Amino acid sequence: MEGRREERERLRAERAAAESQQAGALARKRRAQYLIIAGFAAVAAIVALIVISQSGGDDNGGGGSPSDVRGVAQVDSELSGIPQNGQVLGDANAPVTVAEFGDPQCPVCAAFSEQIAPELISSEVKSGSVKYEFRPYLIIGPESKPAMEAALAAGEQGRFWNYLQLFYRNQGEENSGYVTDAFLTSIASAAGVEDIDKWNQSRKSSNWESVLTNGTNEAESLGFNGTPSILVEGPNGQKALSGFQLSEIRSAIQQVG
Amino acid sequence: MFAERNLRIAAVLLAVAGLAVATYIAIAESGGGAPKCIAGGGGCETVANSKYSDLAGVNVAVLGILGYVLLLASAAIPGDYGRFGGFLTGLIGFGFSAYLTYLELFVIDAICQWCVASAILMALSLAVAATRALAYGGRELAPPQIQSSHGR
Repeated sequence: MEGRREERERLRAERAAAESQQAGALARKRRAQYLIIAGFAAVAAIVALIVISQSGGDDNGGGGSPSDVRGVAQVDSELSGIPQNGQVLGDANAPVTVAEFGDPQCPVCAAFSEQIAPELISSEVKSGSVKYEFRPYLIIGPESKPAMEAALAAGEQGRFWNYLQLFYRNQGEENSGYVTDAFLTSIASAAGVEDIDKWNQSRKSSNWESVLTNGTNEAESLGFNGTPSILVEGPNGQKALSGFQLSEIRSAIQQVG
Repeated sequence: MFAERNLRIAAVLLAVAGLAVATYIAIAESGGGAPKCIAGGGGCETVANSKYSDLAGVNVAVLGILGYVLLLASAAIPGDYGRFGGFLTGLIGFGFSAYLTYLELFVIDAICQWCVASAILMALSLAVAATRALAYGGRELAPPQIQSSHGR
């Protein structure tokens, strides 16, 4: 009797141990399965999030949304290390000035800013032989004025060129109502304007009337009738260009410099 | 080996901290603003105003809030639903945070300290959730141990 009971208990213990081992193995197997499923699900979710993130911004053409400021990295990189003083980019003592008469709403100015100006900035302006100055010549329409005033006010905080270049890269359709306070503020933030309150106060003040009027008067006195128009000034005089190709600008720099 | 209770407490603390950071970013960015970078430099404004701060019209900080709420819930839920739910959420959160950090470094060219803080909290949350899932996951999925009553 005693022997049979011991045998039963031994068998029971063996069976329990085997079941426990089996349960542990099954738990490990299930755990591995769930981890793998979670891993695949996570990868799929992350890829979906990245795809949505990449496509979301591109759909918003024309610089409408405040959170859709394009070209910040390129502009920062282009202007990095170059001094800015108001509308002047480059060394204040540079012998030659290349003055661009432009309008922030002008699409040709935007193309000039992206395709021609970078070459001038990265060579002549960066080396200190030329300073590049923007002078307002507003011809596109009513939305040009607040846009220009916003850029000029950014210039008080040393960010005129960042502002202007970002504005160009986020231009909407001319006078379509896109130059809103929110749009201008988003450009200011992206351009690195530190004190937004001060910038807001300045751009809405009447400080810029004379700058706008002077720019227009000068452009007209030089015979310009479109934007961008280029004036090159140096120790040997000044030259108002009929076009705005880089070769013309460089040739004029040689002549007046 | 960490006790599961301690891992769940750590997960709760990390999720609460992450929730606070993400909520601050979301509030600061509502209405076109930006969080204030403590060290200055304007990086937070640049990041907040980049096109990547929204995902299909939803601010990514709001997605962060959602992620941390799910992490909090998974820490509170006992058993494998909590363990693997937390692990899955942590993986997604960490992966997306890593992508956003890449964007800051190489595309936007600006660093927002609050976003970095959130990314670190998300990475720690994943570490805790992974430890919990690896150490304790799968247990109650195994069949219960039946004590035989007819052991002959």
